[in-house]
Amino acid sequence: MSKNIITIEHVTKRFPVGDGVFTALSDINLELKEGEFAGLVGPSGSGKTTLLNIMGSLDSPTQGKAIVMGRNISDLSHKESAQLRNIHIGFIFQVFNLLPVYTVYENVEFALILQNIGSAERKRMVMEALEWVGLENMANKKPSKLSGGEGQRVAIARAMVKRPNIVLADEPTANLDAANAHAIIQTMKKLNQELNTTFLFSTHDEKVMGYLDRIIHLEDGKVALDKIVLPKTTAL
Amino acid sequence: MIKFLLKGVLGDKNRSVLPIIIISIGVALTVLLSGYIRGAMGDIINQNARFDTGHVKIMTRAYAENKSQIPNDLAFLGVDSLINELKTSHPNMIWVKRIRFGGIIDVPDDKGETKGQGPASGMAIELFNTNSGEIQRMNIPSSLVHGTLPKQVGEALIGQEFVDKLGLEIGDKVTYFGSTMNGSMAFKNFTITGSVRFGTPALDKGAIIIDISDAQTMLDMEDGAGEILGFESDEIYDDEKALELTEEFNARFVNNTNEFAPIMLRLKDQNNLAGYLDYVDVYSAMFVTIFVIVMSIVLWNTGLLGGLRRYQEFGIRLALGESKGHIYKTLIYEATLIGIIGSIVGTAMGLGGTYYLQVVGIDIGKYLENATMLMPSVIRAQVTPELFYIGFIPGLFAMVFGNMLSGIGIYKRQTAALFKELEV
Ligand SMILES: Nc1ncnc2c1ncn2[C@@H]1O[C@H](COP(=O)(O)OP(=O)(O)OP(=O)(O)O)[C@@H](O)[C@H]1O
Ligand SMILES: [Mg+2]
Repeated sequence: MSKNIITIEHVTKRFPVGDGVFTALSDINLELKEGEFAGLVGPSGSGKTTLLNIMGSLDSPTQGKAIVMGRNISDLSHKESAQLRNIHIGFIFQVFNLLPVYTVYENVEFALILQNIGSAERKRMVMEALEWVGLENMANKKPSKLSGGEGQRVAIARAMVKRPNIVLADEPTANLDAANAHAIIQTMKKLNQELNTTFLFSTHDEKVMGYLDRIIHLEDGKVALDKIVLPKTTAL
Repeated sequence: MIKFLLKGVLGDKNRSVLPIIIISIGVALTVLLSGYIRGAMGDIINQNARFDTGHVKIMTRAYAENKSQIPNDLAFLGVDSLINELKTSHPNMIWVKRIRFGGIIDVPDDKGETKGQGPASGMAIELFNTNSGEIQRMNIPSSLVHGTLPKQVGEALIGQEFVDKLGLEIGDKVTYFGSTMNGSMAFKNFTITGSVRFGTPALDKGAIIIDISDAQTMLDMEDGAGEILGFESDEIYDDEKALELTEEFNARFVNNTNEFAPIMLRLKDQNNLAGYLDYVDVYSAMFVTIFVIVMSIVLWNTGLLGGLRRYQEFGIRLALGESKGHIYKTLIYEATLIGIIGSIVGTAMGLGGTYYLQVVGIDIGKYLENATMLMPSVIRAQVTPELFYIGFIPGLFAMVFGNMLSGIGIYKRQTAALFKELEV
């Protein structure tokens, strides 16, 4: 049996709104195992982003426990949660959010600098990550010179370069056309298989869902359905 | 990391150019103003030292008390032995005697009738004793408008104003009228060998310069002098030394009740110069403080604007696993770097301006027409070593402080809102 990367136990998240509170997540229970390629789907406002935030140690649950890489999120200091993100978690956003001042290479390199990895080793790792996404020739370009699909591929390289245990991707294909969406998902699927990295998406996108091997339906902050599916084979 | 930050700062013009411009301007103004104040103050002190106060000055107590009236009846007698004593006890200093005197200068026509008259502000110095250094000290050669220096008794230099007003020419004779040390009538004829203009209204008005021996005979002051001035041999005023010397000298006479006992005053104790110096210090400090505050506020605001623009960047860096504290620290590093660059640019600009004002100067002559204070009519800035670092204080401080304030926003930020913010 592969080990648990993330364990969510009775997690409830409430936000203060006006005089009262709004319950965004109520009593969620989930386990995510190493190597899974899973997706959170559900209507807008169902709590997908909120759950990703908690898993990414960007927020903590109001009740219940979120255990990520064996650490209880609620117990971590600012510094420890930064450390956890730095080493174990890669993020991919809907908008690729590259730093415009830096080149593609430097954008990818940044996470490694934070880990104090030596420059020769960094170079090897960055170039490898760029090869994974097929952008090794774009290393010296500025983000403004990239197309949308290329930008998101750089974002994948940035999330993957440090070889995290888990990648959390919040609607990564929402801003891409169909061809690019397929290409991006296929790239991630390939990395999932080669490196055994766990992926968790939030998505509305049917194209993405076709590649998932597990779909978790959220509705009104609750898990409505959690099923293992037979994914599309990655014809690359 | 440093390289990474550097690249980020330099690559983003909004982040570097605007703050650098603000800081450079503030720093340049600080440097320029300091240079100007220092230059002006230096000139004023210098002029006072050379023409009036010396680095230290010895008078009789009675003379010192009524100094503004030039009370030669209260002057020293037996100055030469006192000077010899000083030369032995303080051989590293230059000691000179001077007599100031008031009175009237009368210009006779061919028949000996009065053609014109004016009040005299006379100064008798050791003109013929070249070891005294008085000629150079008082800048006489370069202040000479016409003619030459007196070479023998009975010759005098006279202010260019007199020459213009009374229609004098070199070689003309003038008569001095005044009173002797004992209060009887004094008069003496002088041949004008040259005219001078010092460029200091308080000195040029009614100026007549003669050798001290002439004054001693004319005023019945054999072996007498109103003032003994002491100068450091390098002609640079050292307040600590002067204070030490003054205390030591005056201690010898504490128990002497004679009103003709000598008293020594250092430069700062005369002509209210200590007050001016303090004044300048207070104003400089105030000016620099105001600049720091204004610049900090401006930079705080540009920092805030920059911070808003960089919200996305900070968000990504947080998500990539950088801690808030580290981001805050890098922000301060950046501010320090920009503060240093801005300070260097500003200091260079300020020094350039100061140097220009040192060469050209600002003519304030028309405000000084009736001034009694010894100050030059052209005020020049002065490039001093302090100017090379003084601007870094407001430059660095304002930038770092401004960014510390604006950076607090990073801590206030909800990490949880990240995905939301980064969605748009
Ligand atoms: N910081 C917050 N304060 C108050 N309410 C919040 C906060 N964050 C999220 N919510 C609310 O919680 C609910 C779940 O939000 P969440 O962003 O997780 O939904 P989502 O499934 O990601 O939606 P979408 O598909 O639109 O991205 C929403 O109703 C949202 O308004
Ligand atoms: Mg969402």
